[in-house]
Amino acid sequence: MPLNIDWQQILLHALNFVILFAGLYFLLYRPVKAFMKKRREHYESMDAAAADKTKRAEELKASYEEKLAAADEEIAEKSRRAKAEADEAAAQIRQAAEAQAQAIVEEARASAAREKERMERGARGEIAAIVTQATEKIVLHDSASEAYDAFLNAAEKDDE
Amino acid sequence: MTKRQKIVFFSVVAAVVALLVVGIVLTNGLYERDATIQETMKDAILHGNDKISLFGLPVNPGLISAYIVTGLLLLFAAIVRIFVIPKFRYVPGKFQTMLEQAVGMFDGLARGNSPHKNGVLGAYIFAAGAYIFFGTLFELFGIPWITINGESVTLPAPLSDINGAIAMGGFTYLFILIGGIAANRGRGLLRGLKEFSLPISMSFRLFGALLSGMLVTELVYYYFALSFVVPVIVGILFTVLHAVIQAYVLSMLTSMYYGEVTEPPVKKTKRSKKIKRGSEVTV
Repeated sequence: MPLNIDWQQILLHALNFVILFAGLYFLLYRPVKAFMKKRREHYESMDAAAADKTKRAEELKASYEEKLAAADEEIAEKSRRAKAEADEAAAQIRQAAEAQAQAIVEEARASAAREKERMERGARGEIAAIVTQATEKIVLHDSASEAYDAFLNAAEKDDE
Repeated sequence: MTKRQKIVFFSVVAAVVALLVVGIVLTNGLYERDATIQETMKDAILHGNDKISLFGLPVNPGLISAYIVTGLLLLFAAIVRIFVIPKFRYVPGKFQTMLEQAVGMFDGLARGNSPHKNGVLGAYIFAAGAYIFFGTLFELFGIPWITINGESVTLPAPLSDINGAIAMGGFTYLFILIGGIAANRGRGLLRGLKEFSLPISMSFRLFGALLSGMLVTELVYYYFALSFVVPVIVGILFTVLHAVIQAYVLSMLTSMYYGEVTEPPVKKTKRSKKIKRGSEVTV
């Protein structure tokens, strides 16, 4: 054969390589690859567990936030209701106070009117009595000037 | 180091080098060359006169190299399998990282170039890459062996033997062909056969690359004047370089062709040629 090509030696080389291929596959390649796969699966399971925990924590957080939002809403509602009730109560009190004040004022006015009428009535009686006395004095005892003076004195005394 | 110590150190080194050079020159005449450079290089290619007996069978030195390399690699693999792999940890050490990188690199190469079917491909290119790389580095050791004629010969790289290169190229082609048939039956077979030149190109690429390295080394060592400093560059740098390059090239080509023959066929969608008469417009 040209170039010293020998089929027997080619087959011997091929046999050698087949043995090497099989040996390296079973002794080195497969065990190392199996270990790498095992490690990858280990870290993937850890990753999945971490992702699951994160997801659950996020769900928990979302539910808490929802609850907090509901509580805020409830607090605001209660606050609104309390304010409305307080406003209503204040309005009622104010109305009652105004009514009471109105009644007091009217009562005071009526009382003042009654007092005024009573005083006018009293003053009219006293004036009449004074006039009667003065007239009696003038007519019965003194001259007209004395009577007039006596009338004025009596009037001043009354004013005091 | 003081100035005096430096002077002493360099003087001793220079004296040793000078003595060695004198010794080399004086002993050169003791050994007469029994072949010219042409004969030496012809022997390196054809191995006409340097056959070695393998259980009575005359074989090329490259075959002995191949068996030694395989034996060493399998011994290493067995030691690693028994003593190292059971102690693998999730956080790897340096040696574990190196092994994982090697396996992961070939596995990634197989997955990247042959995404549809790559179960055994990764293991195949791992073995082929390791064989080419360590087989090529093997020639650096220059292990001597006795030929049938009683002469001494240095064991070359296994793939610098043309029979080794043809075995590697042919077996790789066979592997690709079987992969194609397993994945796509008749279509895979046709795709494999289409690349009929592959075993020849793979074989002779390996043979040419490794033989050229060996010939350059032979040439350098043949001449006395070239035996200083130059072998360091030629012997180590070139050998390491083409060990890496050839291992990568064959792994890459194998995975690419394997990916090509195992790729599932793409179904062509039939276009409807029916035209509704009602939709035709007459001018």
